[in-house]
Order: sequence, then structure tokens, then C-alpha cells
Amino acid sequence: MSDHVDGPRSIGDPAADLSDLFAFTSPENAGRTVLVANVFPSAGASAVFSNAVNHSIVVRRVTVAGMGEIARFKPGDEEYRFSCRFDNLVPGPDGAKPVQHGTCTLPDGQALPFVVNDAKGASTPDGMFRVFAGLRSDPFYLAWLVANLKKFPNLLQHDNVLSIVIEFDTRHVLDPGKGSLFGVIAETSPIPRTGGFIGHDPPRFDWVGRPEQTNMRLNNPALAGTDDLRDLWNQQTPFAIPEEIQPLFRKRLVDSLTNWDMRDGKSDWTPAALAAAANVYLDDFLLFDVSKPMSDTSFLEIEKSTLHGRPYQTGGGRTVNANVIDIMLTWMVNNDREFLQGGATGATQPGGNAFPYLARPNEQLQTVSDTVDVTAPPDQVWALIGSFGGMWHPLIAKIRITGTGIGQLRTIETIDGKQIIERLDGIDNSQRLYRYAMISGIPAADYTGTLDVKPTGPGSSVEWRVQYLADGQPNIIVRTVVTELLKTGLASLRSRFGAPK
Amino acid sequence: MIEAMDFETNFAPATAGEIAVNNLESARQQSWSRFWEAPLRPGIAECIVEQEQLTAQFLGDVGVLDRLDALANQLARVDPESGRTALINAQVASMAHRFADAKDYLAQAELHGVFPSSDKPLSLSIDQACGTNLESVLQARRRMAAETRRSEDLVPLGALLADLCEFEEADRIYRRALREYPGVSPFAPAWVCFQLGVLWGELVPETQSSRAANWYRKAIEYLPGYVKARVHLAEIYLRCGRAGDAQVLLVPAVSSGDPEVRWRLADAMRATGRPAEAEVLMQAAESGFEVLLGKHLLAFADHGAEFYSGGGNDAERAFELASINLANRPTLRAFEQAYVTAVGAGKSNIASDILSAAGKRWGNTTAFELSPLAPVCHHDSLRAKTHKFGHI
Repeated sequence: MSDHVDGPRSIGDPAADLSDLFAFTSPENAGRTVLVANVFPSAGASAVFSNAVNHSIVVRRVTVAGMGEIARFKPGDEEYRFSCRFDNLVPGPDGAKPVQHGTCTLPDGQALPFVVNDAKGASTPDGMFRVFAGLRSDPFYLAWLVANLKKFPNLLQHDNVLSIVIEFDTRHVLDPGKGSLFGVIAETSPIPRTGGFIGHDPPRFDWVGRPEQTNMRLNNPALAGTDDLRDLWNQQTPFAIPEEIQPLFRKRLVDSLTNWDMRDGKSDWTPAALAAAANVYLDDFLLFDVSKPMSDTSFLEIEKSTLHGRPYQTGGGRTVNANVIDIMLTWMVNNDREFLQGGATGATQPGGNAFPYLARPNEQLQTVSDTVDVTAPPDQVWALIGSFGGMWHPLIAKIRITGTGIGQLRTIETIDGKQIIERLDGIDNSQRLYRYAMISGIPAADYTGTLDVKPTGPGSSVEWRVQYLADGQPNIIVRTVVTELLKTGLASLRSRFGAPK
Repeated sequence: MIEAMDFETNFAPATAGEIAVNNLESARQQSWSRFWEAPLRPGIAECIVEQEQLTAQFLGDVGVLDRLDALANQLARVDPESGRTALINAQVASMAHRFADAKDYLAQAELHGVFPSSDKPLSLSIDQACGTNLESVLQARRRMAAETRRSEDLVPLGALLADLCEFEEADRIYRRALREYPGVSPFAPAWVCFQLGVLWGELVPETQSSRAANWYRKAIEYLPGYVKARVHLAEIYLRCGRAGDAQVLLVPAVSSGDPEVRWRLADAMRATGRPAEAEVLMQAAESGFEVLLGKHLLAFADHGAEFYSGGGNDAERAFELASINLANRPTLRAFEQAYVTAVGAGKSNIASDILSAAGKRWGNTTAFELSPLAPVCHHDSLRAKTHKFGHI
């Protein structure tokens, strides 16, 4: 028992965790289709793909097999499979950061090699296929506290994901003359190996069709006391959920959709309509029709129209900028009676019109934080430093205040003649805290600071924290400047108020 | 024969260790950035605790506890009264072996209505680490392992069985964890392999170095940066005269900051005729241990005691630290260490008292029967009882 046996709670590899799937017509070329699968939610700046995972995007032709309350989308047997695998890291040239290579096996059996994070991607010689894989800004945004359906800022702000983007010539690859409606899923699975295990390898780690099938519908947090079916679901074979297990998932979907319908206290769905929607959700693949227009608002239109017993008008699909959560919540909660707009209207960065369509990765905000404990009580310390224009920092020669209240500016002249302008963004004297943003004077963007004083025993603890993105100078220089600013300021408080013994 | 059977297992393929560590490190930094941006963002603090735990466990990063203290302090500033903060404080305190604090925080969390099942694994871990309520811990561990069959439930069960000297069953449980691991992360299988190395290299009465070495090597194969596995394998190499191999193993781990790496590397240097370098490394190790002990005494007391009773060559300090560890968590191993260090420090009366206390607490367990303390224990009447868990 000399080692603490409390092991890792989360032992799954996030690089095998699929977060989203997209299907849309290329904004660059209407004759091409784009499929995107994302893994690794909240990926860090240097994240790379697992070399032990097969990442597949699979398309099957689909037919409308029923409408209205017997709505059904029936997948065909033929599939178009795009499978990407990745190698271990290799050292970059001249000490540069490591590089990862990958290969995409295309439906016709061609192997297309590419370099991860090469924004140009790789194309087959005939230009039929193009592939990109690498870190991108997460285009998904969720701006609700889902448990109580309360608006919230985007929970994925500044997040990145690892994306696989596959673009191809629609006519040559999918042959839409045989039928233009398709279903697509993405899955991560073990790479097949020789030799047997006792038992068998898991068929797959994860798969995704429509967004939020698992976390909102199958595992609705409001259905207290129910079993978590997500692992079981992830073991099922896409396009082919076994008949014998369908009733389990169907019942959960009906229960969950019933709960979602009542989240606003009003019933907008008839039981028959809910049951029909559950059946459609049970066939979990993202529908898209390459013969019709796909837009930021066409997500789920194919399903909705078919359930309403009328021909669909759009290509459905899911574009990079589609507000899928609000579209989906609106449909589930009030059957499109009133649009439910969450607390954000877009992702951190919108998708673009040029390959690879997902925005460049968000830079990681840098944090510099320092704390000092002093013997003086909090009110005494706050009386000195709580004024936005207060002169207490030894590196400051002069401060000029412009305006009053929130939004006021302070123009700081440092003792070495530099000028810094900062704006007051918030102040709470009861909590002895203020927040500010730097407007100019330090080579950084998105620079925000927080200064606060908290009681600690008979004295105080002063914390000063700054977050920024280096802009115009290397991060190490900006960090040095900011660190010195904080350290010198806080050290002066220790000198002035005394340090606890 | 048994050793050969170990590797008949078809090992689960996993993400390359270099990739997994790279991804853990980048995700950890991203999580911190998100935390400082919005400390109350749902799930972010919990995510950091998990990532830092992995970083400490596998990469030997000695800064983890400092960073987690910063996390706890920040939550205490922005959300002092919540059950969530109490629960995270409990996790942080437990990682630092401040078990009494951890229990207090858990009680606070419960008062704030934190969902009971979310702190149950932590309660079990604290009891297991402190050697208390082991009968009920074992029952709970068995139940959880049977229900989930996940590594994070199977491995603690194996560790507890090993502590209770049920070595064959521990081995079976560990290998089951390895065989049935459904994921692709190398952390879990590396952890199991490491535990198997400890089992056969350190815990069984007649240790099997070669068998243990194979498991440590497998752990390192999964995760080349696994610092503890490198240290333990290096110890085996040093014992069998392969000091050069030990050096090769330890040098890449020096950057972790774990003072134990420097200590063992000093041993390796000394064994290869480089006493001056060994001395520098040993001083660095001592200084490293003292820095850690100064900041997180309870977390490193047992490791410090081991260092000072070995290469650190300070029997008094070893006994002092072993006593602190024993007071914090009176496990059988803590008694053994305290006894040995008391004898080493020439404190025969105190050693006798420790022996007596060990007999009272552990005397009627199977584990005690196999303990090095048993032959010297004079409490025959206690030892006569062989009920596994009486009076624990």
C-alpha cells in the first residue's frame, strides 16, 4: 500500500473519441462533396492522431422507405468507405516539432498519403479526391446548460479538434444517377491485427451519425435512474442495428424525446409523432442529398419533411457553420413552434469557403498568475489597489484616467517611458476584484487581467492574473514582460503591508 | 514456466506512448488555459485533476501537486462554498496523501449534497491507502470490478489483493485487466504491466526479478516515458550487476524532476566507477527530496524514508519520515518501514513498540504471517489467529 492505487479515472484515449460529423457540398465547387469527421474534443495545441486507430467515414445510398408516421430511411448494402490511419511521430527537420504522416484508403482502393497539419492537404493525381487531416478550430458550438436548458456562452469557445476532411468529385464517386440520397457515419475502430485475443477486439471505439444521439437522446440526464446505453450503442454496427436490440434503444429514444418535448412545460408532439421520430433517430446516419442544395439551415430538413409526409426540399447534410444544437433543440422541445436560440450565435471562428473549410486552430491563451500573502486586512489592501487609477505599482510613473465607471481607460506611463492603455471591464468592491483589458502597449492580443484580494487568516491574499495571446513578439518575450510586471507589483505590496511569518 | 506464460497474452495494441504523452501534455495545457479563463466552466477542474493525476502517475512530474494546490486555491477563491469544490479538494488532498483532510472534504461535499456515488471510489481509495476497513473495501472492489470490468476498477482490486498477500488472485485480476482492456490508450495497460512488475518483483515472499523485469519492460514498451517503471527496472538491473543498462534506462527520466531517478542513477554511476558524478547526483537527489518534503511532507514521507535509509544515509531522518508516514496511514508496509528505520537508527525500544503495535493491528492477518515482521514479533497469541480481517 505504499503506492496510491487511485488510478486514472479516464483511461480512454481522446484521440479515438469522435466529436462531430459533417456532410456538405463544397463551397468551392458545387460538383464536389465534403465529408468531415472530428476527433479529440478540446485538443491541445500539439495534439496528433492515434496510430492505433482506424478512422473511417462510411457512406451508403439511402431510400425513403416510408413517410409520415411510418417514416423510414433504408440504407443500401453498398458502401463507400474512406479509412485514414496515422503513423507514429517522426522528428521534424532541424529540431522542428515532430511530424505525423497518414494514409487515406479511398473507396476505389487507392491509398493517398498525406502530412498531418498540411493545410493544402493531399490530392490523388486525377484530382478526384483530396484529403486533409490536422488541428482545426472546433466548429461546433453548444451554448446551453443542457440540464436546465439555460442559455450560456459557448462551452467550446477557443476549443480545437483534430479534423479529417475528405473532398471528392460527387458524380464520379457516388454515381448519384443511381439515387442521390445518402447516409453517412464516422467510426473509430481498432486496426485489425493477426493473432487472436481471448475473446475479441472491440468492433469499434466510437461512431457518430447525427449530432447528440448519445449524449442528449440516449443518455438524457433528465431520465434519472436509467442505465447508460452509450457504450452499448457504440458497439453496434452502423447501418445495421440488430433487430433484437432495437426495442431497447427505441424505448429509450421515445422516453427521451418525450422528456425533451416537456422541457418547456408544453407538449408539442403527439405520441405517434414522437414514436415516428424515434424510429428515424434509431437509423442513425447523417442524411444528405447531393442533388439538392445544402445550406447552414438545411440540417434535419430531410427527416422533418419526411416525417410530415411531404417530399424534402433541401440536401439536408450538415455544414460547418450550421447551428445544429439550436435547430435540434427547437425541434425536440417545441416541434419548431419557436426557435430556441442559445447563448452564442457561432463557433469561436466560422468555417471558410476554401479547403479545408474548418478555420485554423485557435491559439492557446497564455496565463501568467502570481499571488502574494500580506499581513494587512483585505479592506486596507483594497483601499490601495482597488482604484483603477491608483498609483501603487513601482514600475508606473504616471496614470491618467479617461471616463468613469466600467469602460473607463487608464493610460499608464512606465518608469522607462512606455505607454500602456487599459480598459476597466468590471469591478466588484464587495468581492474586492476588478477585471480589465489591455488596449495597447504590450505586444499581445486578447489580453485580460484580474486583480483581487481575499482574506487569508488575519491578513490578505492578493492574486493578479493575466491571459493573453502573444502578438508581434515571441511569447517568451511577452511572458517575461508580464511576469515582471506582476512580480514587481506584488512584491511591493509585501514590502508595504508586510509578509506573514 | 510461469514466466513464459505471462507473455502468451496477446497484448492489446495501443496508441504509441510518444503520441499519448504528447496528447496528454497538450490537453493538460489546454485545460489549464480554459480553467484560468473560466474556473467555473463545467467539468474543467475535474478534467485537470484527471490529467494531472496521469501526469504524476506516469511521467513522474513533481510539479503536479503544486499545480493542483493552485487549482484548489483558485476554486476556494471563486467558489468556496460548493460541494464541487469540496470534492475536488478531497481529490487533491488524497493525491498528496493528506488523507485526514481528504475525509473532511468528502464530508463537506456530502453536506453540500454532492451525488454520493461520485465520491465512493475516492473513499475506497483513501481507506485502501490507509489500510482501514479493508474487508468492506475488498467487497466493494470485487463488486465494482464484476460490474464494470474496467481497468480502473480491476487494478485497485488487484493491488488490494496483493496487499493482502493473495498474490495468485492478484495476478489473475491484473492479467484479466490486460486481456479485457477495450480501449486504445497505452496508459491503462502500462499501469497494469507496472503493477505486475511490482507484484512479482517486490511483493511476493520469494521475488522473481526476471519475471518482474519483463513486466516493467512491457510497461515501458507501452509508455517509454513511464518514469516509475524505468526506476523499478533500473533497480533490478543494479541488483544483477547491469549498471550500464540501468544508466541507459534512467538518463531519459532525469528531466522529470523525480529525485528517485537521480538517486538510482547515482547508484549506477558509482557501480560503473564514476564516484564524483555519483556524488553530485546524490546531492541533487537529497536536495530534491527535501524540496518535495518541505512542500508535501505526507506525499513523499515514505519515499524519503526509503531514500535516507538507503543511499541518502541518514538513519535519523529515515526514521523521522517513516514515523510520519506511519502516523498518517498505519498500513502493514508503513509498520515494516518504521520498524526497519527505527532499528537502523538504533532505537530498539521504539522499534519494539512499533512491532507490538503492528502485531496488535495486523497480527491476525495472512499478510502479517508473510511479513518480515512476523518472525521477530513476540505476540504469538495474536499471530495464532489467522482470520484475515479481524480487528482491522
